[in-house]
Amino acid sequence: MIDIAGVIKRYGSTAALDRFSARIERGEVFGLVGPNGAGKTTLIKVLATLTNPDGGRVTIAGHDVVTDAPRVRALVGYVPDVPGVYQDMRVEEFLDFFADAFHLRGPRRRAAVERALERAGLGPRRADFVEQLSLGLKQRLVLAKSLLHEPEVALLDEPGTGLDPLARIALRDLLKSLARDGVTVVISSHILSDLEDICDRVALIGAGTNVRDAEGQSVLVVRGERETTQSYEIEVLGDAEAAAGAVDRFSGARSLSRQGQRLLVTLAGGPEQAAALLRHLVGGGVLVTRFDPRGPDLEQRFKRAFGGEAT
Amino acid sequence: MNPMIRKELRQRMRERRAWILPSLYLIVLGSVVTLAYFTMLSASRAWWGNEPQGADVGTTLFVSVAYTQLAVLLIIAPVFSAGAITIEKEQRTLAALLTSLLSTREIWWGKFVAALLFQIFLLISAVPVLALAFAFGGVGWRELGIATLTTLVVAASLSAVGLISSAYFRRTIHATAVTYAVVIILTAVTGIAAFWLSGDHRERIPIPLHLNRIFTMSEGLFGRQQNLIRWGISLAAFLALGLASAVAAIAVMRRGGEQI
Repeated sequence: MIDIAGVIKRYGSTAALDRFSARIERGEVFGLVGPNGAGKTTLIKVLATLTNPDGGRVTIAGHDVVTDAPRVRALVGYVPDVPGVYQDMRVEEFLDFFADAFHLRGPRRRAAVERALERAGLGPRRADFVEQLSLGLKQRLVLAKSLLHEPEVALLDEPGTGLDPLARIALRDLLKSLARDGVTVVISSHILSDLEDICDRVALIGAGTNVRDAEGQSVLVVRGERETTQSYEIEVLGDAEAAAGAVDRFSGARSLSRQGQRLLVTLAGGPEQAAALLRHLVGGGVLVTRFDPRGPDLEQRFKRAFGGEAT
Repeated sequence: MNPMIRKELRQRMRERRAWILPSLYLIVLGSVVTLAYFTMLSASRAWWGNEPQGADVGTTLFVSVAYTQLAVLLIIAPVFSAGAITIEKEQRTLAALLTSLLSTREIWWGKFVAALLFQIFLLISAVPVLALAFAFGGVGWRELGIATLTTLVVAASLSAVGLISSAYFRRTIHATAVTYAVVIILTAVTGIAAFWLSGDHRERIPIPLHLNRIFTMSEGLFGRQQNLIRWGISLAAFLALGLASAVAAIAVMRRGGEQI
């Protein structure tokens, strides 16, 4: 669906993108993660046809973002990091203007506006001026606006920035529903837990280029891994080394690391495996004081790949 | 209808200046007409000892209003055009426009028409004031046509200049300052340059003078056949300036994503 091949973008002598490559499949939710200034926003702007690359090639559904920009725009919905809105327009007018700008006419336009109002949960506030909306609602309005023309690709640049937890949850649910509808989503975010929750794969980007993690991977499979493996944090009393040995002997254990009395274990399989391991440890005389499932360790992998840099 | 025009007009008419500007505009024109009328009346009584002819009064009022309109509209034109695109950058909506299916030409055209329509609205609102001159006589449709066409062409041209500034700069204040600088150059500097260049050959019209709006209006209003040709050349020069600004603005807007 999206093919990014060695894309280069320079601002003066600074390379914002330096031969970054990725391939994103149709219907995939693809995350971009990297420190500030890594080139995430520039890459999304290239995909949105807002800026032309200086080298490499980017295509969306086979259309080149430089030479076939109007076709690409028809396929893409773009949500910038700061929601740009016309404060002095009413919510419905705002959506109607952009529906018109996407060449939707007559009943199609009215239907698109109604759909967008419903999607953003702004139906009851259609007559309000945009300036009366909270930041979270403005973000939802901009997202709904970018989906008016039913794009095949949604590009979201830091969509969770500045949102309160409830607004972030609502945004995450909206993105999940998009993914269920088969929309390809490309999202950059500082909030790794959000990416973990909704992305199928996440690309590591640093200094405008692909960054590899400790296992040598530049694109991490998040969802696939989450479905087949699960990490657990175990705390024990007494001989932690003996406990680590017991875990090591457990056949379902994929990986094991130990920090003092804490063990971090990755198990292949579902909760039955976790129950079996707990039974195995207790049966072996290990004093278990805590046994907690952990989310996929994107944060750990991010720290390892970027040397502990914060996003 | 271009969606940009609809949006711009809707937003513009919601602004406070939508009623403040026409009110101020009519107050200025009304004051000028009153001042011109009483000045003419007292001058006529003082110098010739009699009341002025109706046609003379009509001509004086018309010329006063025509030049005042030209001057005031050119003060107002940059207010609308120079901020038209920078405001989209400042409120972070330019990206949404550039990633929609609107072409940069459509966006430019929407901004241009909206800026010009408001000036046309001001021109129309001044019709009753101009009608006063018609009531006195001495002025015909020809003069009205020349004055209106000159004002429109110059306003359109300077609106286009405002839009290129607006496309180029990120901040409204910078775009507005540069547009006013261009207005000043086209008025004062061309006049001075023309005077300087003409030297001893007063019958020859130096090229810079063709981009002087006062010269353009004067050639049209007070001309013989030869002056009308100069008026035409002057209008063509303003149209060329506007067209060049439009082409440049659209080219800059195509790279507008770099500024977001």
